[in-house]
Amino acid sequence: MKSWPRTLAWSLALVTGAGAAGTLFANSSLLSTSQSTTLQPRTLGSPVTFNRDIAPIIFRSCSTCHHPGEAAPFPLLTYSDVKKHARQIADVTQARTMPPWLPEPQELKFADELRLPDAQIDLIWRWVAQGAVEGDPADLPPLPKFVPGWRLGTPDLILTAQKPFILPAQGTDTYWNFIFRIPIDQTRWVKAIDIHPGDKRYVHHANILVDRSASSRQREAEPGAGFGGMEIQIESQVFDPDSHLLFWKPGTVPYLEPDGMALRLDKGTDLILNTHMQPSGKPDVIQPSIGLYFTPQPATKLPMLLQLEDDVKLDIPPGQKDFLVTDEFTLPVDVDLLAIYPHAHYLGKDIQASATVPDGTTKTLIHIPLWNLNWQAVYRYSEPVFLPKGTTVALRYVYDNSEDNPLNPNYPPVRVRAGNRSSDEMCHLWLQVLPIHFDAAGGDPRRLLQEALARHNVEKNPADFEAHYNLAAMLQARSQVNDALREYELALRLRPGDAAANNAMGSALLASGEPDKAVAYLSQALRTRPDYFDAHYNLGNALASQDDFAGATDQFRLALRLHPDDADAEANLGSALAEMGRFSEAKTHFERALQINPAHALARENLQELQRATNK
Amino acid sequence: MCSGSAFRAIRLLLTGILLACVLAPELVLGQHSAVDLDGKQVNPFDAASGKIVVLVFLRRDCPVSSRYAPIIQQLSALREHDASFWLVFPDKDETPQTIHKYLQEFAYRLPALRDPEHALVKLAQVQITPEVAVFNRNHQLIYDGRIDNWYQDLGRSRPVPTTHELDEAIQAAVGGTTPAKNQVRGVGCYISDLE
Repeated sequence: MKSWPRTLAWSLALVTGAGAAGTLFANSSLLSTSQSTTLQPRTLGSPVTFNRDIAPIIFRSCSTCHHPGEAAPFPLLTYSDVKKHARQIADVTQARTMPPWLPEPQELKFADELRLPDAQIDLIWRWVAQGAVEGDPADLPPLPKFVPGWRLGTPDLILTAQKPFILPAQGTDTYWNFIFRIPIDQTRWVKAIDIHPGDKRYVHHANILVDRSASSRQREAEPGAGFGGMEIQIESQVFDPDSHLLFWKPGTVPYLEPDGMALRLDKGTDLILNTHMQPSGKPDVIQPSIGLYFTPQPATKLPMLLQLEDDVKLDIPPGQKDFLVTDEFTLPVDVDLLAIYPHAHYLGKDIQASATVPDGTTKTLIHIPLWNLNWQAVYRYSEPVFLPKGTTVALRYVYDNSEDNPLNPNYPPVRVRAGNRSSDEMCHLWLQVLPIHFDAAGGDPRRLLQEALARHNVEKNPADFEAHYNLAAMLQARSQVNDALREYELALRLRPGDAAANNAMGSALLASGEPDKAVAYLSQALRTRPDYFDAHYNLGNALASQDDFAGATDQFRLALRLHPDDADAEANLGSALAEMGRFSEAKTHFERALQINPAHALARENLQELQRATNK
Repeated sequence: MCSGSAFRAIRLLLTGILLACVLAPELVLGQHSAVDLDGKQVNPFDAASGKIVVLVFLRRDCPVSSRYAPIIQQLSALREHDASFWLVFPDKDETPQTIHKYLQEFAYRLPALRDPEHALVKLAQVQITPEVAVFNRNHQLIYDGRIDNWYQDLGRSRPVPTTHELDEAIQAAVGGTTPAKNQVRGVGCYISDLE
């Protein structure tokens, strides 16, 4: 009989901050003009008409959202529609509240920029001041064509949230997460996702997070119910960095991934739609759908989300108007920067990010002088921005915790620290980067990025559990087990009972040939989280390594109760039973493993070994 | 002296004197009074039975107006013994049917008026939806403007309001006094865009 299959993969969980993992999450003020001050005396100039001058601006920059079925509260499709809001339009365009576009103009251009040129704002003002004249019908350009429903054609897979969320009529902003279980039997590659967030008038923005370990399901009161929370954390198994920013805001056109890029979905992957809603004055039913478009081409270009943050510095005294937080990170490899996603909560005021290349030149990556969470967005660059190895990317966020900040969640202001609630703060910046040189010999450059980032975070904040944990996971993946053990130990000093860290420590000890020590950590993981598949599985392996096959059998059975279709657990259960001489039962489980995965080599070899042994 | 156009300009300076010289609402309403949803001309002051009159100006297509529905409904219930609330729709394109549907959707239990000629708008001197006008028991306008300071501007709203101008005006009217401020402009949608 083949010896105990110690080479089966252990499971380790890479814990990341919500965004690092996923993406997502889940957003200055524009001019704080009061509503009645905007129509200041100016030159009226030559006659301005709706049909000739204003309609082209409205059709291009407003009608996308301002038409029935879209997010805006009233249509702007005809002269009559626009006339009914003429002065309001002059106001909000002058204040740059509309169209919603927070960044200042800069050298590095964004795709789909909504910012109106000053000349157009002036034209609108003059039109209103001159009496909002309609003009010659012959001048009116044709209405743009809007594609209703799924805008990239019928999706390959449409999923609707199992249960709607009832948004109350009244109250503060609401955050709700819908879990979409993806019914696929094999790995699929996603080229685009069209997010229909429910009634678009009440959903301010929505993000999709990829949950590859079904960890979010535990947060649902019942399957399909969804769960509350502004920021969520996703555990991801093994090194599988998040790579895509899957974001919806009003006016979003579904984003088709460029050639070579696609999002991988495996069997069992959940997509979590994190939505930000605003009560409308009446109860509303919110039931989102998502449409997935697959491609047969697996991804050949593997981007990664880099997260800069310095939440630990967020300790903002009440009344402070200009609380500064910075972070900077030097890239260990060449990358193309594809997109940027800044994130703060309601105290965020001035948000900036920059890149200083090795020759000392600094470029602004984004500058939002008046942050507004309600209009947060992912900004994609119109062309990839090359950032060579040695480039330092930096964030500089300023927070206003005074009464002068109308969005301040506390009145009167109180001390605010980092946290996941909307009344807490955040200082996050995600960069979607594509490492340029994939060199098989040099290894996956994303690992270098992830490890450099983890080291940076550990240095920045030695009390950061996740930083130690992630660095340990990276070291373990590189087989630097002793270094990994040291980092896991530091993580566990910070959170002694943490299930994932105890499991990971146990798996590392198991890999380093210390199953006796591993048992204690794995047992602790299960005391914290009795339904933890990975820990049952690893404990089964640890016990088997100590020749406690009865104990191992129990653990593999518990693991299989949680994941009945896990071929590795079936194969190991078979092996443990075989070790105890219970050949008939062992055979059943080897066969079951092969039923689940016909290519399971160890199950096949063990089954053959078993047949030889029983035929003797 | 008591013409409508002069009223706003001098009221701030001469509140005490003007209290005795305020517009009689019925004079202004005249033949252009607002109509209820059955098309019947209504003067909200005739129906007030000695109560304070609160006019709440709304547009269906103004999301700020709509978000105030629960607040208006709650405040009107709280003050129902002292104040008679009326919802006023100044958009001449609104029909009784569209307003009925809106009232149902937003669970309003308050009487609604159409004000296509803007007779009540002029009387109340409001400019924005949602704004309110509070008339004391003598039918004198003692406050017009925002309900509270929930909205800072069209891009930003507070989690909860920290000032409550409408309620303070109602309380002042109940106590026979005037509020600290008799006019604070609101944030929302211009009524003048409907002209």
